[in-house]
Amino acid sequence: MDTENLIAHARARFDHAVAKRTLREKYQGKLIFAYAGGMWQAGPELLTTLKCCTGTAIILDLYETPIKVNAEEFYEQVSQRWQEQLNAWLIEYEELNKNR
Amino acid sequence: MTTGVLIFAFNNQHIDYLAMANWSAQNIRRHLKLPVAVVTDSTIPQQYHFEQVIYATPEGNYERRFDDLNQPVTWYNGNRVDAYTLSPWSNTLVLDADYVVASNQLKTVLDIDQDFVAHQRAYDVGGHPNFNEHNTFGQYQMPMWWATVMFFRRSEQAQLIFESMQTIRNNWNHYKSLYNISRTTYRNDYALSIALGTVNGHVLNHPGIPWSLATVTHNQRLTQVDVDRYRVDFVAQDGKPKWLYLTQDFHAMGKVQLGDIIDNYS
Repeated sequence: MDTENLIAHARARFDHAVAKRTLREKYQGKLIFAYAGGMWQAGPELLTTLKCCTGTAIILDLYETPIKVNAEEFYEQVSQRWQEQLNAWLIEYEELNKNR
Repeated sequence: MTTGVLIFAFNNQHIDYLAMANWSAQNIRRHLKLPVAVVTDSTIPQQYHFEQVIYATPEGNYERRFDDLNQPVTWYNGNRVDAYTLSPWSNTLVLDADYVVASNQLKTVLDIDQDFVAHQRAYDVGGHPNFNEHNTFGQYQMPMWWATVMFFRRSEQAQLIFESMQTIRNNWNHYKSLYNISRTTYRNDYALSIALGTVNGHVLNHPGIPWSLATVTHNQRLTQVDVDRYRVDFVAQDGKPKWLYLTQDFHAMGKVQLGDIIDNYS
């Protein structure tokens, strides 16, 4: 890196807003997972749908394919995925705040 | 049933795509635990490691101007449409040599129960809204599909998509006029987008990879700060120099900067 670039590098400020948005994009991908032959994105909408079902339920995956699932078992999977990734997201977000 | 990654690496006078592919292969093994096949016309240096090497003659001798090189370079990008016939795997993940694997995110793609998927939306990690223009092509602003990451299973549909891409590559002037594309250079992204439209009966509803492709553009400065941790310096919308850390997979459009990272690594 030449002197001019070094100076620009040192003067640059951390872009919190853009970093936050990029982190969101990253975790949108991390929330996606496969289950029972379908693809799902863990989140409040899916959790709420599953809370409304009992036993065997048929719901549409991300590709609008109807998939047969066990509502209770799947709820546990989605909930676990959601919490795992949200925790990781929070840790990275807090790291990001330190760069301010 | 075999699953692996396929990378096309045809060097030109300025860019060592084979070195990029070798570096990427190491990242792929570490994160995805998948074998890598490279398609090239170069002799493989002894220190490089690929599970399979497929020799091919480069097709599509195009001139393309990369902003970070500041001059037109020869760009051999015509072979990608042959991925279906060249791939040694039953399930193939085709990656650009400049796609940086920094996580196991692509493992999710392998679970998708579709014959062919690719990214439908890319975004600029620096948040520049003008980048959205790249998510369409041609005067009619047809939706773009990115050939940077493609996953296919051996199937009639995947074969049809690649055959359509071959037809488009072989008749590029016709398709360029049909879609009113102002750029003269053939691009795999355009061929893929047109092929997916054609194969799906022009209803534009082909299933895609359900997240967006992070992109570091030519005019952003990319440096590696740690394993799987990169810093991107860019000029924000307010004209001020800004930076952020990137800890995810991304498409590095700046070949020179990625080349520097790889040189420092080896």
